[in-house]
Amino acid sequence: MVNPFREFHAIQGGRREIPLDRIIASKDLILDRLIVGYHKLIEEEVHNLVWLVDHGALPRAYAAAEKAIAEVNFTVEDVEDFCFTLEKADSFALALAGPSGLYLSAMCNRVEGTEISLRLKGLKSRVHLLGYRLPEGKRLIVEGSCGDFAGAAMEGGEIIVQGNTGNWTGVGLKRGKITVEGNAGERTGEWMEGGEVQVKGRIGSLGQVQGGKVYLGDLQVAPVRETT
Amino acid sequence: MPTSETDHHHTIHALYDFISEHLYLNRPDLEVDGEKFNSALLLSLLTALLGGKELVIGEPGLGKTTSAEYVCALLYRIPLGVLWGSEVAGHPEQTEEKMVGRPDLGKLNRGEEQVVWSNFVQLPVKIIDEINRLPETKQSLILDGIDRGNWEYLNQILLQDEYCLFATANYQDQGTQTLIPPLLDRFDVMVESKHPGANLSFFISQQEQKEHLLRDGECEREFYAVLLDKVAPEGKRAKLEEVGGRFAGLLHERHNLTTLEKEERRTLRAAIAGLEFSAEASAFTRTALTELSFCCTYGQKRSNEECLEGCHYSGYLCYQVRNCASNRLPISLRRYAQALAWLLSSSQVEAEHVRCVFPFVIAHRVQWRDAYVSAREREARRDPLPIHLAKQAVAEIWHRFVEQREQIMGALAQAARILAGEDLQPLEGDHPIFVEIKRDLGGDQLW
Amino acid sequence: MNLQEIITAVWPRVRRKHLFPQLPTPRVGENASTAAVEMQHKQIVLNAAFCEQLAANMPLEEVVEASLDHGVAHYTRCPWDFATHLRLHAAAKEVLQDREMAQRATDAFIDVVADTFCVKEFETALPQLYKHLERGPLATAMAALYSRIWGIDLESAAPEGLIRRLSRISYLDRTQWEKSMRRFCRLIRPILEEEQQQEEGMSSAPLGQHGLGGHSQNEVEQGLREFARQAANPREFHETVADFAEELAGQGYTDAQEGMGRGKGQQLDTDLLYYMKLAESYHLPVRKAPLQRSSSLDLYAHAPWELGKPIQDVDVWTSFGKILPGLTQTWLRQHGEVVGRREGVPDCIIAIDSSGSMTNPRYLLSYAILGAGCVCEAYLRHGAQVAVYNFSDAPAGDSLSLDFTTDRKRIYQSLCRYFGGGTALALDEFDELRRRGRRSVPDVFLITDMAITNLEPLTAYLSQTEGRLTAVHIGETEAAVYFKKATAGWKNVSVFAVTRKEDIPRIILGQVKEYLRPGQRGV
Repeated sequence: MVNPFREFHAIQGGRREIPLDRIIASKDLILDRLIVGYHKLIEEEVHNLVWLVDHGALPRAYAAAEKAIAEVNFTVEDVEDFCFTLEKADSFALALAGPSGLYLSAMCNRVEGTEISLRLKGLKSRVHLLGYRLPEGKRLIVEGSCGDFAGAAMEGGEIIVQGNTGNWTGVGLKRGKITVEGNAGERTGEWMEGGEVQVKGRIGSLGQVQGGKVYLGDLQVAPVRETT
Repeated sequence: MPTSETDHHHTIHALYDFISEHLYLNRPDLEVDGEKFNSALLLSLLTALLGGKELVIGEPGLGKTTSAEYVCALLYRIPLGVLWGSEVAGHPEQTEEKMVGRPDLGKLNRGEEQVVWSNFVQLPVKIIDEINRLPETKQSLILDGIDRGNWEYLNQILLQDEYCLFATANYQDQGTQTLIPPLLDRFDVMVESKHPGANLSFFISQQEQKEHLLRDGECEREFYAVLLDKVAPEGKRAKLEEVGGRFAGLLHERHNLTTLEKEERRTLRAAIAGLEFSAEASAFTRTALTELSFCCTYGQKRSNEECLEGCHYSGYLCYQVRNCASNRLPISLRRYAQALAWLLSSSQVEAEHVRCVFPFVIAHRVQWRDAYVSAREREARRDPLPIHLAKQAVAEIWHRFVEQREQIMGALAQAARILAGEDLQPLEGDHPIFVEIKRDLGGDQLW
Repeated sequence: MNLQEIITAVWPRVRRKHLFPQLPTPRVGENASTAAVEMQHKQIVLNAAFCEQLAANMPLEEVVEASLDHGVAHYTRCPWDFATHLRLHAAAKEVLQDREMAQRATDAFIDVVADTFCVKEFETALPQLYKHLERGPLATAMAALYSRIWGIDLESAAPEGLIRRLSRISYLDRTQWEKSMRRFCRLIRPILEEEQQQEEGMSSAPLGQHGLGGHSQNEVEQGLREFARQAANPREFHETVADFAEELAGQGYTDAQEGMGRGKGQQLDTDLLYYMKLAESYHLPVRKAPLQRSSSLDLYAHAPWELGKPIQDVDVWTSFGKILPGLTQTWLRQHGEVVGRREGVPDCIIAIDSSGSMTNPRYLLSYAILGAGCVCEAYLRHGAQVAVYNFSDAPAGDSLSLDFTTDRKRIYQSLCRYFGGGTALALDEFDELRRRGRRSVPDVFLITDMAITNLEPLTAYLSQTEGRLTAVHIGETEAAVYFKKATAGWKNVSVFAVTRKEDIPRIILGQVKEYLRPGQRGV
């Protein structure tokens, strides 16, 4: 058979490699693995998460998220890039509000590094449950707005939301601080056990704050201070 | 001895310079490898060198025919007066007898069949003025003769081993016939003989009888004597070469110009044909040919089928062309790119040489979609629309090739290894050439 | 060797490395204001002072070669074409919301792409060049980025977090450029803000800014057309293209007359440009002068005469006076073809509704203007003239009449004028304009939402007029239904109901094509 390509036989495709190639390849690999883990989480837990807040479902889903990322060695920048991927995602599954927040929370909680900036400005849907169980020593800065349950069951970290948060902000907060530079929705501080929520804009309504403090601007609104 | 040092280069360059300085004065409109040329003159020179077929278009009186005459007079050592006497003028009543040959009437009356061949057929240089005024059947007749290198009349055959064709055409006007695509495809290149600009034009008006530089009464008489001699054409070749040699001597004496004898022209053609394409030149050629022939839906371009809206490849030229590149196209491209590379003393054909000649090879062959034409017809340009469109198209392909060069060459190399028996997978990529490669590797679903 | 000689010596090598770019031999720029490497009319100009200054640290030949690598890579690699340049700028502007910062960021991004391409693809002295360049804050960060992604120490320091993040951008992936540009801008924003607050202002790209010098006029035209197609709305087009107003003005894109309420002056009317370029993208290819069969039979070609064939067409000259099969030739005849007249394309009046119920063309894409623009292009291409009657509440003075003309700019200015008031057509004005047609009866093209208060008198008037009428209305309103019913029996009218605005240009084109090219299929 005629080989119409024979003059190219000796050509080697060995292009020069520069560090950028390795950085991008490694980034893409990790991002792919994170996305695969995310899809796995959705497959396993999406039914529970869609109907949320069944008390047992959340820790179970979180545990699944932790398991999905357990084998991946990622950095703060990978977490940020994952966020960026969500921003550009056309896939419905990728942009699911609940699972993406829980997954991001699991990543933030596990990653090495103290300060994480997440850009949520361009996202088509709001990310729920961001900052879930954020441990002490971590600082999460959110560019844009969060969905519901921001800082849920936080364990000592700090979240600064540069936009608004949805309902149930700080639900079950144990320790740590949530600062919302915009507005917070209904039932803010529901079942809070400790820590602090500060909302610089407006609060839709307060939940049943069991511990900790909620501020509206500099004014403490829960628990209500007794005037002397 | 390196190619660049051969005498033939100096000879051909000197001929180009002589024509451009004394006979065909025009602006350079082409730059390749740092050298500037006038495209009409350069391509005419390459056509004469190669023995190709060139269509020269342009406004009346702008040197379409004369540029070819000057080049051929010098390349083939034929005085202008003889060339004039051998040209075919295009008009509807033109006959085969005037163009090719006629019966020897004296012998016919005696019941013998003997053909008197025309000067047009006997000389290696064939110039047809205003070919688009000839009916299609006559156009075809000439191109058939040139393609095959033989001429037939009354069951007699004249064989030729060296010939080139120059045909001129005015832009379409009343009384012209259409040059139909199958006939156009048989021309290797199309070029425009442009207006030289007001200043050069005025300067040309001051040149008196420049044709005399390439004329000599004595030589012309000798030429005619040989041509009109009724001996068999094969017997005249040596005589024509001999008379041409005398004319060459005059040219050298008068203008210090060296010209080539037939054997030298043959050697030179062999040298040109021996130039290899660089890997990049080959890859670029394949890339371009793909864009002019590929169709993902219908397998290949066909002039009676139109691309589907929303095709994935709508960003490529295959979406913009209506017809399919013929197998003559790569032949023309290869030969002219080789000739250009040779002229520029390059040791191989580079992608740049291919890029340079490509527009002239496709300008008359490619039929564009109306939308593509109207998108570009109002653009600022220096060329007639078909050549402008071809140049833009080649620039587009080039741009894509530069970007995807490594991937394309990698895919071609991989394909070479696969066909050589290595267990590899063809490479993927966006350009249609990746699909073409897969098809060649048997990856196309046939049913 | 002087600098020009070095350039001439180095240039063939650079050309080969970059696969023979179609650029003339670069030259030396002696002007102190010239940037280090600049592209003027597709010719690279190297600043002599810049080269000599760097020659203190590295061989002059390397300075020249590296600078040329940089200049050529901009032409061959990034920004690739003018539309891409505009898109990158638009992406930067979207993040930074500031023209100056967006331009600086675009320059920086383009530099990273072009220079990284060079470093990856072939031997270049660009790293050495960057090592010795003077640096502002952004250039310092970029040099640190280069150190990271090229793996060559350029002796520059910047915050590790920033460099780590910048180095994760896929600079060499063209399909990702816009996305990458946004990320790039977000990351360098603090540095740009810092530079903007400096006394000396924003730094410029160390090897020069990127303007239109690398693009030919045709490429700029094409880029604008492509960008108009891709822009989400006129505003996006305006915001980006206006940033290039000065350079575009240098290429002749000025507007000397009033348009779109922008006032008089030499400014660039980007809204007008937007509709013009967008309409140009919808092409209506039509034959100007179709060939027609003439009635006479012309002698066409010879054919051998055969026994039994008539002999009246025998060509005695080529038959040598003999009637012999095989020798005798007979003439074949065929119909001649002559060039048809141009009367198939009359002039056209475009009546366009710019009342408040129509889209304001400055903020959103007005399909009415786009459709009218397509029609204008189609008629002008045929050498016909176009008149415009733009109306809102015409009896109250909200109308504009443009006499028959071939001046595209004036036509578009008239089309783009937005009154935004009530909707009534002043029939006397319209009639007067219609009668100004100089060549036969003009076609009328009406584009409106049909919410015209004097629709009945208008319909009655149109019923009296000769010439063809194409009416396009948006939505199935009662008025539209009335108009369709009223005109149902007319032979010279085509009415299009458009439920999707996006269909307007296509439908109009199809119809116009149909009657401009009888017998041809629609677009």
